[in-house]
Amino acid sequence: MQLIVNILVLASIYALIACGYVLIYRVSRVMNLAQGELMMLGAYLLLTTGSVFRGNAILAVAAAVVLSTCCGILVYIFLMRKMTGGSVLAAVLATIALGILLRGFMILIWSAQQQYPGQPIALVSTAIILPGGARISTFAAALVAVNALAYGSLFVFLRFGRWGLRMRAAGQNPLLAAQRGIKLHGIYALAWALSTLTGSLAGMLLALDSGLTANMAVLGLKAFPAALVGGLDSLLGTLIGALIVAAAEVLSIQYIDPLLSDVMPFLVLLATLIVRPWGLLGTREELDRV
Amino acid sequence: MLRWVLGITTAILFAATASADDSYIVGMTAGLTGPTASTFAPVAEAMRIYFDRINAAGGINGKPIKFVLMDDQAEPQKAGANVKQLLTRDNAILLINSSLSSTFAPSIAEAKRAKVPLMFVGAVCPKEVYPPAEGGQYCTTAFASNFDSRATLTFIKGTSPDAIRIGFAAATIPVSRAEIDFAEKYATDLGMISVDKELIAPTTADFTPFATKLVEAKPSWVYSWAAWVIQVQLFEAMRRLGWEGNFLGWAHQEAEDELQRLKDPHLYVIGANTLFQEHLPVQNEIEDAATKANSRYPANQMSEGWIGGMMVEAALKQSGWPADAEKVQNALQNLQVDMKGIRAAPIQWTQSNHFRVNQSYRIYNWDSAKGQIVTAKDSLSYEIK
Amino acid sequence: MSDNSLTTSSSGHRIHHQGHVRSLRWTRWVPFGLLTLGLVSFAFVGSPFTLDLASQVFLASIGSLSLMLLTGFAGQISIGHAGLIAAGAYVVGIMSREWHAPFWLTLPAATISGGVLGTIFGLPSLRLRGLYLAVSTLALHFIVIYAGGEYEAWRGYATGITIDSPKIGEWEISSELAWYFVLLGAAFMTLTICWNLLRSRTGRAWGAIRTRETVAEALGINIARYKLLAFVISSSITAAAGALFAYNRNFVSVEAFSLYLSIQYVAMIIIGGMGSLLGAILGAVFVTLLPYAIEGTVGLLPHAERYVNELSALNYSAFGLVTIAFLLFEPRGLVGIWRRLQAKGMSWPSWNTH
Repeated sequence: MQLIVNILVLASIYALIACGYVLIYRVSRVMNLAQGELMMLGAYLLLTTGSVFRGNAILAVAAAVVLSTCCGILVYIFLMRKMTGGSVLAAVLATIALGILLRGFMILIWSAQQQYPGQPIALVSTAIILPGGARISTFAAALVAVNALAYGSLFVFLRFGRWGLRMRAAGQNPLLAAQRGIKLHGIYALAWALSTLTGSLAGMLLALDSGLTANMAVLGLKAFPAALVGGLDSLLGTLIGALIVAAAEVLSIQYIDPLLSDVMPFLVLLATLIVRPWGLLGTREELDRV
Repeated sequence: MLRWVLGITTAILFAATASADDSYIVGMTAGLTGPTASTFAPVAEAMRIYFDRINAAGGINGKPIKFVLMDDQAEPQKAGANVKQLLTRDNAILLINSSLSSTFAPSIAEAKRAKVPLMFVGAVCPKEVYPPAEGGQYCTTAFASNFDSRATLTFIKGTSPDAIRIGFAAATIPVSRAEIDFAEKYATDLGMISVDKELIAPTTADFTPFATKLVEAKPSWVYSWAAWVIQVQLFEAMRRLGWEGNFLGWAHQEAEDELQRLKDPHLYVIGANTLFQEHLPVQNEIEDAATKANSRYPANQMSEGWIGGMMVEAALKQSGWPADAEKVQNALQNLQVDMKGIRAAPIQWTQSNHFRVNQSYRIYNWDSAKGQIVTAKDSLSYEIK
Repeated sequence: MSDNSLTTSSSGHRIHHQGHVRSLRWTRWVPFGLLTLGLVSFAFVGSPFTLDLASQVFLASIGSLSLMLLTGFAGQISIGHAGLIAAGAYVVGIMSREWHAPFWLTLPAATISGGVLGTIFGLPSLRLRGLYLAVSTLALHFIVIYAGGEYEAWRGYATGITIDSPKIGEWEISSELAWYFVLLGAAFMTLTICWNLLRSRTGRAWGAIRTRETVAEALGINIARYKLLAFVISSSITAAAGALFAYNRNFVSVEAFSLYLSIQYVAMIIIGGMGSLLGAILGAVFVTLLPYAIEGTVGLLPHAERYVNELSALNYSAFGLVTIAFLLFEPRGLVGIWRRLQAKGMSWPSWNTH
């Protein structure tokens, strides 16, 4: 039972980070490889807002969320917007460079020491006992809940929301969508905003649960296979992909070899690329637009 | 393009202007940033503060110390390059390494080639410093491979007459793994039952799966010898799973603050440095100096660096002036420095022992009744021969 | 570069007649000769520190040239370069530590294993293109690194594998001066190999594949063969660079081969200018020297010692910033800037009208 809980928690972590990849890819065919750093940015912002709004957890979290979403939009306006229409490879390399730049900035501003964002706002991670004897920490539970909420609202939004519909249109055929009056730049900015929002939520919850180190961005890369396995433009696929990757990792810790668990997401990634590169539920496309 | 030309000119100028001036040149390579920043940055800061104080008070033998600090980001290649630079560009007569163990081999190789002594401060002591020590490597760091585990397991064994179920946790860093492997064997030799051993990668997102496996094995004690981040995260994950046993980890610099934060009476730490709550005169000195220097690191994380500073000061004083690498080497091989209470015994180096003659440990934990950290066991001592 | 038409040859003169071209051709070699003279004399003027720096640049250019072949010319994206360097370095480490093999055995062995690994890295390229290919190289990089780390742990090299300097008879290659010439020679050899490759049938096939793969196939070019060839050749050169790296540092450990290293190489070919051998070299020079330039600049500030902690973060930020700047404003890289300066230099009398 505990194993299932562990898998669920890890899957939620990966899924919440990975939905950022999917949103941006679906809309603009760009892989945002700076997602890990953007996620970490959310956690560091919480550290700052926490010391500003001491003791007031809700305000601190809300402020951090707003700030990081703004950062996502700023990233689009100042960087990615100029790369639209150009080579997709160049756009991806721009995101890699952005990730490195962000990492440098974050260390410059907040130093590389280990921090605990939960301390100023008095949020402590405790355990909840579930039926069946398994235990889950409060923030891990929050992660699962937030993940479900995020995916749920994204499903509804993309299916029924006005802007959601536009996003799907822009993703399917940007030229046609633009000709029909859909503001592509606005759509892209929205995608970046949503992506940073979900990523930073994941970062904040992770940091509240187990502390914040400058190395947290690596998780962004580990979450990427989840998106790829499920299909880079399918949200539902990413959920399933996250479950698969998390299950592989947790089960290898339990039954095979804990050492293998670190490289397990990439083995799964490789297997997918060999067998079914477009993922479980992704659109079978030409696989490149370079 | 222009920037490139400017850059290379600057680099060449920079290289050209550095020369041996009228001071003791001490070079240091440290893992200031990167995954190990929390451990080594305070060490470097403490040493800088220490040397600034000495220079403000007139220097050693009337000459100032020129302290050149370089960041190697805990990368071996960079550490080797740093040491090379410190030797060729800055002409250091004494080198210090405060970084991850994988940086040791290149540092030692470069230092050996130039015949300049290399001191390890705050970094795990390499095997070259234990007797019989023949190269020019020295070590002040509190933790010692194998002796740490011996002291720990002796203490744990002493807590109960029955066969104790013990679990182990290491990081996937080779030094940590080697130590835990040794500990597992030693524990079995002492009559304890090793129920599980976990190897945890530093890039793990969630420690719960590892904690799950450990908890399922139902140990009454868990021993971990790894970076504090790994120790504490594993401990907290195990507590969240409802485990109520005893956990013992190495007392890294953050340990004092962390014991205060966690307030768990079954969390023990073993270390060789006295905690700051004892308010020894030298510790007040450190706090004073740290405040005056506007240090970004808490004073109670500066013991290792301060000790390093004390050893360097003593060695340079003994070398006289003018000093060169050979004189410093001779001084280091014949050095005994009183630790003013930070360590239980003075650090003594001889020709064949560059670690220390006496290694002494204390075990601390939180006492809920008193609301403070107390000593669970005092002076577990070993003679290093 | 056609000889007998109204074109601009690389020496920058408008040539109308074939005869004139032939007699002025030799001037092309003058800058090259000067450069060689400069490089050789620098060896005797520079300090050990600057010689080592130059050696690092030469070593980096070998890696960037091989990546330029693969990505810039054959159009196959790879961000697993560090994994290949690691492979070459580990072969040297294993062979020299376990079997005490001399360098004239380990270097070819490293190169061959690079080629073998290149075949594996290249297999996905038969099915995937673009970003998916890049991702597969990323996954392979992590797996190679993991294997290296496991080997270290299994054989007890807790702190990495130390390697003795290569010896020719009694003479050991360990001084900065010796390595300067060795790596300069290696870089020059790599450049020659690349240049010849590009002018051969293989190079032309790569160009066709990069531009329009389907058309190339229609023209009868065996896509699979040339793609794999690109990977194999590129990886062999890269692994050889890794072997030289291992000997130069006398040390191999898994931490040296991070993802950041792969990205630095990709940045080299972007900043240098895609599709140009000169670009690969310029990019290697720039990316290798950037951290030193920053360190030098920070060293000029008052209280320079206070910024040591920040230095590596500054390097990261500067690297990211510079790469982004080139992507946004100068997509043709340093070579693009160079050609622009050349063109400007050519139209010298008429600057005022531009």
